[in-house]
Amino acid sequence: MKISTRQLLFFLACVAPVGKLILLPARLADAAQNDLLFPLLAHYLLQAGAVFLALLLARREESFTELLAHAFGRTGAAILSVLFALFLLFASLLPLLEQKLFVQNVFYDTLPAFIVYAPFFLFTAYVASKPLSSYGRVWDILAPLFLVGLAGILILSVGSSDFGAVAPAGAAGGSGFLKGVSSAFSWFFDAALLLPLLGKFRYTKGLAWKGALCYLAGGAAVIFFTAVFYGIFQGTAVNQLFGFTVTSKYFPGIAMLGRVDYLFIFLLALVMAFYNSMALQGSVECMLQAFGRKKYLPTVLSVIVSAGMLTAVTLLDRGFSDVLLGVGKWAFWIFPLFSVVVPALMLPLGRKRREAP
Amino acid sequence: MKLRKFLHTVPMKLYLILTAVILFSFFSNDFSLVDIQKTAVILAAGIDRTDSGFALTAQLAVPKGEDRTTGGTSSVEIETEGETVSDCVTLIYTKTGWVPKLVFCDLIVIGEEAAKEDVVSYLNYFLRNDYMPDTCLLAVCEGKARDLISSQSALEDTSSLAVSQLFSDAALKSGRVVSKTLKDFAIDYYGVSASSCLPYVRKTEQPDGQGGSSGGAGGGSGSAGAQDTGSGSGAPQIYSAEETALFAEGKLVAVLPREQTLAYNLIGGKVVSGTFNAEEKGKPITLTVIRDKGKVSLKLEKEPVAELSLDLTLRLCCRSISAPIEDIASDRLSDEAIQNAGTVVRGYLEDLFKTCKESGCDLFLLKRSLYRSSLKKFAARKDSLLETVTPEIKVKVRSMK
Repeated sequence: MKISTRQLLFFLACVAPVGKLILLPARLADAAQNDLLFPLLAHYLLQAGAVFLALLLARREESFTELLAHAFGRTGAAILSVLFALFLLFASLLPLLEQKLFVQNVFYDTLPAFIVYAPFFLFTAYVASKPLSSYGRVWDILAPLFLVGLAGILILSVGSSDFGAVAPAGAAGGSGFLKGVSSAFSWFFDAALLLPLLGKFRYTKGLAWKGALCYLAGGAAVIFFTAVFYGIFQGTAVNQLFGFTVTSKYFPGIAMLGRVDYLFIFLLALVMAFYNSMALQGSVECMLQAFGRKKYLPTVLSVIVSAGMLTAVTLLDRGFSDVLLGVGKWAFWIFPLFSVVVPALMLPLGRKRREAP
Repeated sequence: MKLRKFLHTVPMKLYLILTAVILFSFFSNDFSLVDIQKTAVILAAGIDRTDSGFALTAQLAVPKGEDRTTGGTSSVEIETEGETVSDCVTLIYTKTGWVPKLVFCDLIVIGEEAAKEDVVSYLNYFLRNDYMPDTCLLAVCEGKARDLISSQSALEDTSSLAVSQLFSDAALKSGRVVSKTLKDFAIDYYGVSASSCLPYVRKTEQPDGQGGSSGGAGGGSGSAGAQDTGSGSGAPQIYSAEETALFAEGKLVAVLPREQTLAYNLIGGKVVSGTFNAEEKGKPITLTVIRDKGKVSLKLEKEPVAELSLDLTLRLCCRSISAPIEDIASDRLSDEAIQNAGTVVRGYLEDLFKTCKESGCDLFLLKRSLYRSSLKKFAARKDSLLETVTPEIKVKVRSMK
């Protein structure tokens, strides 16, 4: 079973943006104040380029490890695949911590025990044991859910926003821009998520351009949401850690009807659950490509990966901000290395095949 | 063969072990959730300054013993003192054994003396609290917040409910009160203008025999209700918030009288069906605002000019003298009434601008306008803007046709 072009484009336009709607707007506001849209735009342009490159690799119709094997041999490719799998696990850590914080704070009115989030890892252990190509149907379902969820939240939020708050452009200066860019790297590794998918979809004519444009379309939605977010909270935006869950509550009807916006929040939370498990599944896929696809191995690896992440998230329960600051300060370069540089370096690898009509 | 069989069952075993560990942990704890019976639901908080720090008066909702059918709210007030607001909130737990819960707190009242110091020195507790609704209303009160929160309302079961009613949509549209939430105030405070306003609440004693909490929205015995509430000392009170407290850098710097409060709301374009008085032929008349278009813009010439433009459509609401039925049937205003109305509103706006300028409160967010229009001009003029700015007031009044 192959992922179709439509499903892949749905992922880029409608699933990938959801990870940038919680903590990222507040983080950017902290780094770049009212200029927060510029670092966001820069990241989207860079990542769209990386998505373009990653999709071009699909022309070879070979898997990630097979492509690497052309240059590094079987053993070298296996080692690099495991390294890439470790990167995906590392990259998934912050989104999982972010999601845990989101669940604990938004769905409960007192801070509940960590354990309320733990069953999520049963879900990832199940999902990650399935073939990566099964995500195609999932994206078919998630795309309309995302569109309804985000549209609902934007409709309820936009009236409360003062868009003048993003003016004047350039107030944070070059240092603010650079700080914003460096602090947001950990949210942008979508091109890396595409690499384990290589060989699971066919390259159709213009897929690279279409993919990059769809990614930018999703990015436009995120940028618009971030502008709405900043317009609502302005100078206090840095204190609003749960992006899309807090913007719609100022809609005048909410006072009368109650938090009906939670319907839309739940939709986005559902999309986010699949998005956040994708890095784990990608990691399992890379390891499978490295070790060979034995019958029992997917489940064993998915359970080990999920249990490992559960342990990591448990150990870092109270250390999220330290991890976030540490990654933003010392390890931010890892993300562009694997999501931008790796696809670019892989471009000459493999042999070109004819494009499907 | 055995090894292969064993390996074949490993995935399921691992998955079952992981499931067992998670489910066992999941169902063997209370998720740190708080039993509702042990929860102090804070409806409102009053904050005063003390010599050593702060005094917090929390109005807690309590179950209503007798008259359950009325659906009203009963409350008790708990007073605590500490060096920080957090100390005070923690002491509620110590004193009562109930875990204080701010998720339903809809009103924070700041005592007049406390408001004269930077209010964010204590409001920051609420801004930091993830479970505090930032839609919570803020108000300043005459005297001590404790006295207001602990007073007995003549109209509602709890004082906080009665005060919150002052900021209903209808009241806001009348232009007689301003309303600010915790979020709005924080945005103003942390904005470049660092100025804001809050409603200024006064209480007035209701003479004996009039009003008094009835113990429920649907009625019930007056005396029983008063006991039920467990709160409220002295005679029943009614509350008003027609005045407005001005803040600069988080400190109370002036109080606007009701006329200037109305003028502020008019220039904000918020008034629908609000009324004010003017004169016609030397006699008072009341005019209703049908349409209100207000705008403030900053013009930078040699000296900065704040242009306050107001476009009002009015109709005659009532006269203070008897009138023929043809006159009563007509809503139209005479030229004299239109002119006088313009003069009255212009006077209110002039006074309002003067009060703001003298107190150093950038209520019209002129600094913010300058900042958003040009960083360069802002850097050059930000310190002198309020001192040098002059008003240019344009009032256009028309009669409803």
